[in-house]
Amino acid sequence: MNDIPTDEELVARARLGDERAFALLVERYEPAVAATVIGMLGPGDDADDVGQETFIRFHRAIHDFRGDASLKTYLVHIAMNLSLNALKRRKRSLLRFVRGEDDDHPLEVPETRPGPDARVESLETRARVRRAVMQLPEHHRAVIVLRMFNGCSTRETAELLGVPEGTVLSRLSRAMKELEKKLS
Amino acid sequence: MIDLEDDRFGDGALARSLRNAAPHRFADGFVERVAARLRAQHSRVPSFDEVLQRQFLRIIPLAAAASLILGLYSWWGGRAISSSLIDAALRLPAVTIANAYTTDELFVMLGGSD
Repeated sequence: MNDIPTDEELVARARLGDERAFALLVERYEPAVAATVIGMLGPGDDADDVGQETFIRFHRAIHDFRGDASLKTYLVHIAMNLSLNALKRRKRSLLRFVRGEDDDHPLEVPETRPGPDARVESLETRARVRRAVMQLPEHHRAVIVLRMFNGCSTRETAELLGVPEGTVLSRLSRAMKELEKKLS
Repeated sequence: MIDLEDDRFGDGALARSLRNAAPHRFADGFVERVAARLRAQHSRVPSFDEVLQRQFLRIIPLAAAASLILGLYSWWGGRAISSSLIDAALRLPAVTIANAYTTDELFVMLGGSD
């Protein structure tokens, strides 16, 4: 018999105020939210804060969650929107001091700290790949994060970013070429 | 035509590297930090502005319904003496040059004269 509670069961219990059920949901979807937020913002306190805020927003809206989309898609959507807002804030505060920067590029690329998932591939390679992703323009990075880090389909990526599927594919193609160049 | 389900990017070495490089966790204790923030929010006393805003949002539907009922009531009673829908809803009598110089209409409205 399968004892692992489904998302629907956990959501129903969390609605009734079961903190343990909500904690299980956080645990279950931390990887998807982390891939989105850290992929977009780089590791650090900023990303951690946005990750927490993602789940806080979900908790606040849990009574309105109808399950039309999967919980993963729902959370990734919140995480992506909050990450893009955080990037805007970051740019605004940096642009107060730095003039003439290209808006579409990150002003600073944070060093990647190895996470606890560093087993399969070497830490160095992962760090290089993550740094290269962080150097991509924001809209290309968003596609890579959703499509490659999160395993979303082209259609899901298009829906999450609010762009046509063709745009996702062309951004993906350009981003992959750019990454190839950076990593070769 | 673009094949929208084209997955030519999904199988290469670069795609594999990207999938492997995906971050999977925040710093240790993330679940506890979320729980602590939720508890802090629940125990926080709402500010006066927030309470006022909440009460205001509760009152809006009642106020709108009361205005609608009063408007309909006025329109029903005043449709004979008013020239337009708005005038009737506000119980304003039709204004003409003749009745502008007489107080009869006013007495009729106030019920003071037949």
